[in-house]
Amino acid sequence: MYVVREGMRPRERIILTLRREEPDRVPIDLGATWVSGIHAKAYYDLRRCLGLSEKPPRIVDIGQQLADVDKDVLELLHVDTIDINRILEPRAPYLHTYKFTAVDGSLKEVSEDEFWIWRAPYGIDVEMPKYVEIIEREDGFLGYAEGRPFGKIPKTGYYFWGLGHALADVKTVEDLKKYNWDAGKVSDSVIEILRKKAEYLYKNTDYALVNPFMGSPVALGAFRGLHAGGQTLRGWEKWFVDLRFRKPLAESILDHIFEVMSYNIKRLINAVGEYIQVQVIAYDDMGMETGPQISVETFREFYKHRYEELIGYVKKHSKAFTFLHSDGSIFPLIKEFIDIGLDIINPVQISAKGMEPERLKKEYGEQITFWGAAADNQHVLPFAKPEELKEHVKGLIRIFAPGGGFVFANIHNIQPGVPPENIVTMFKTAYEYGRYPIR
Amino acid sequence: MLNELRDALINLDIDKTLELVKKAIDQGFKPIEIINSMAEGMRVIGERFEKGEYFISDLIVSSEIFKEAMNILEPLIMKEKEIVKPIGRVIIGTVEGDIHDIGKNLVATMLKVNGFELIDLGVDVPPQKFVEAVKQYNPDIVGMSALLTSTMMNMRKVIEALEKEGLRDKVKIIVGGAPITEEFAKRIGADAYGENAVVSVDICKKLMEELRSKK
Repeated sequence: MYVVREGMRPRERIILTLRREEPDRVPIDLGATWVSGIHAKAYYDLRRCLGLSEKPPRIVDIGQQLADVDKDVLELLHVDTIDINRILEPRAPYLHTYKFTAVDGSLKEVSEDEFWIWRAPYGIDVEMPKYVEIIEREDGFLGYAEGRPFGKIPKTGYYFWGLGHALADVKTVEDLKKYNWDAGKVSDSVIEILRKKAEYLYKNTDYALVNPFMGSPVALGAFRGLHAGGQTLRGWEKWFVDLRFRKPLAESILDHIFEVMSYNIKRLINAVGEYIQVQVIAYDDMGMETGPQISVETFREFYKHRYEELIGYVKKHSKAFTFLHSDGSIFPLIKEFIDIGLDIINPVQISAKGMEPERLKKEYGEQITFWGAAADNQHVLPFAKPEELKEHVKGLIRIFAPGGGFVFANIHNIQPGVPPENIVTMFKTAYEYGRYPIR
Repeated sequence: MLNELRDALINLDIDKTLELVKKAIDQGFKPIEIINSMAEGMRVIGERFEKGEYFISDLIVSSEIFKEAMNILEPLIMKEKEIVKPIGRVIIGTVEGDIHDIGKNLVATMLKVNGFELIDLGVDVPPQKFVEAVKQYNPDIVGMSALLTSTMMNMRKVIEALEKEGLRDKVKIIVGGAPITEEFAKRIGADAYGENAVVSVDICKKLMEELRSKK
């Protein structure tokens, strides 16, 4: 039986779809996570296209150069979700203060809503947080966060890239103990501010609240996921060799990564769990274009039981739904995540091999929510004419929306160069054709 | 003996592979014979990857075993002055604005273990650097990689720069990367599209045949 619901509130809409029931319309996300946002350049173009005031985008993710999404855009595109860490309105009146030693050796103390204007290499001015310093080099710009180098952006680049692999030369389990694992642990002051922000936004807005932060700032990407963490610390190729030939070392690295991830998730959930609807568990890419990077057996041997513990904690101690991001072709791994209670899989890269929309919905639609899959971001969104894009998006809604379990979001962050008309068309189509019952 | 070695590599058994390499040397097999049997093993591994039986992790592990085996064989090759002539020379790089190098590195490794000479220009490579490298190294093939829809257009700029310098027809051009398609490769005037590392090796071999028949 179908119940038509009109004028549902965003939070209610999200909860229903996450329970795999049909709300009044398909909920929409833009910018609530670090993998469903929009690059500053694309955001700048989007605001112009929407006829909104032109201003330097405010950077919310310094590595990926993502823009914080303003209230006017959230409203125009009918977005249902927000990140509890956001600095733009709607925002909570509590701010974190960064205390650090700057590159020149001086002691600095800056609030998280202090910014400076930086002319980015991709040709626009952006608002950079004051805890970020940028130093020009011959081959690009080196970025420092709280006085520590976090990445480099090429002179014609769009993003900051990580700087090498901290544990690339480690040989023994004993060597691992010298690494400063505790640097990845979230501090009490950060947790307390975030708790206040979440409580405020819960009481004063209708938005569905997402916590995309799992205690792993950009500079410490090692703790954003188990597989990605191993690859960040050891190097992409080397990590595969570790998993095969240096198992004691690999297990020990995973124990350390897990200890930090678990410490952070537990403390975050204890603080914000009663207010948020979605907690990101990990950003852990395990897929390629053509298939998973690893076999199901490898996943079970190294990752499954650890993720089970993280997801289990969140579910036991809060009502928050658990969100995991993995790019690429991961069809057989989705089943493994369902086994251990994961609620949401993102970004649903439908153009990767074996990720056909019908197949995903048919096989897993009753057990997990698909968060993403708005449009083929590699072949359609950047290149199609708006009319073609509209038909494409409608087709995907028809597949993913029935029965709920679908949050409409771009597949990963919207990249520079995507025509702003197409971005508008994508979200407009979701709003107009995402009404239940889906036809 | 050499078949056993090939199979140990196919099974990704590093200890057995290296042990058999040493044994084969002791028994008087020439390095080139040993390398050929391992190359046969790598070909089978590539086929299994194509069929979805092996994962990218297996492909990387196999090239690691191959490298370790080569560490044992290289001093002998030097000593015996047994020179293995490369199939062809490839310069490879990730195009300007993009620093994703996983796919590019994998293609480079697979080409190397399959007998190509590789010159890796790294990441964020501007068109001019490709042009200079073509002048300096006189390669047979130029390979370009990109992960992003925002940087893939820079592949066309490289081809245009090569055309301007009159170098375009001296080389074969292969492109690859997540958003790249066969159609895109044709549209920008590349000679081939390498869907993945294994396919790219076969394509580069074919491109070498085309070059040879032209000469």
